[in-house]
Amino acid sequence: MPNRFRFLDLKVNDAYTNMAVEEAITKARGEGRSPDTLRFYMWKPSAVTLGYFQSVEDEVNLEALNHFGFYLNRRISGGGAVLNSEKGEITYSVVLKEDDPRVSADPVESYHYLCQGIVEALAVLGIKADFKPINDIVVAGKKISGNAQIRRYGAVLHHGTLLVDFDAREMFGVLKISKEKLSDKMIQQAEDRVTTIRRLLGRQIGFPEVRDALEEGYRRALDADLQKGRLTPYEEELVNQFKARYASREWIHRR
Amino acid sequence: MKRFEYKVPGGKLLRAKVEVEDGKIKFLQLTGDFFMQPETDLEELEARLIGCPADPAAVEKAITGFFSAKRTVMAGACPADFAHVVNQAIRA
Repeated sequence: MPNRFRFLDLKVNDAYTNMAVEEAITKARGEGRSPDTLRFYMWKPSAVTLGYFQSVEDEVNLEALNHFGFYLNRRISGGGAVLNSEKGEITYSVVLKEDDPRVSADPVESYHYLCQGIVEALAVLGIKADFKPINDIVVAGKKISGNAQIRRYGAVLHHGTLLVDFDAREMFGVLKISKEKLSDKMIQQAEDRVTTIRRLLGRQIGFPEVRDALEEGYRRALDADLQKGRLTPYEEELVNQFKARYASREWIHRR
Repeated sequence: MKRFEYKVPGGKLLRAKVEVEDGKIKFLQLTGDFFMQPETDLEELEARLIGCPADPAAVEKAITGFFSAKRTVMAGACPADFAHVVNQAIRA
């Protein structure tokens, strides 16, 4: 029997709305008021999204951020800062009950399981990718997707970004890359650590084709019966409630 | 303010910012791209270390003691890594 999921198809929103939607779905799922959910989304304007435990001053070049007109934003999940570029990536999330037998209590195992949708999606596009613990997906050693999870409200939220294209000037202009981190991986150039779908395919693949591959990838990985749906009125209400917090200085600059 | 950053081998990046006064920790902030749940445990740990003697054994004892009484789930870092980064920041 395939697993039933509500599927929230690709939608573009600003950073604060996007994060509020994640939390709203998580809360509603935990309370049993929403079904298991798969969601694809994009960002406009582009935004730097910090992990919960990161500090603004260590991760973000605010001058460059303002220069490009990007938003700054913080997740409820841990992990690293990413540039959610309006023209270079697709973001996705999976929300399940925390006690779902498919999700291991062990963080790395549960990342492994929920990252398989991306590995399969890349396989659909003819790209061989691997899950790399703790929370990355790599192609020939280069990162193409970063993921984060949080358990809250009795639900688990898994979300991540898949790189379609990237502008090195933008990404490394706004993100400060730690020298410690680079030296550990013994790589000189930050740019050498990441790759993109367009680079690997050698063509300007469009977002609709990537979206289709993602849908098929998740269908395979989660044995999912994806039912197109929308946010419930309760979730919409939560989004309106949470949005102001995500946009607040207290939240964004808490560390 | 003294700081130190530490990339856990095979794990995540930890940063400590610390201020010491009269041999005791007066301010501490821990940041990084690790995972920790419940996430409020990090703020509690920072608060717990205020007033702790700024020496390696005391810091390590305070941190391991804190986590042993908790059910914190971590990925990419462990209590010893937090003790290491705090102690290195104190010495920086």
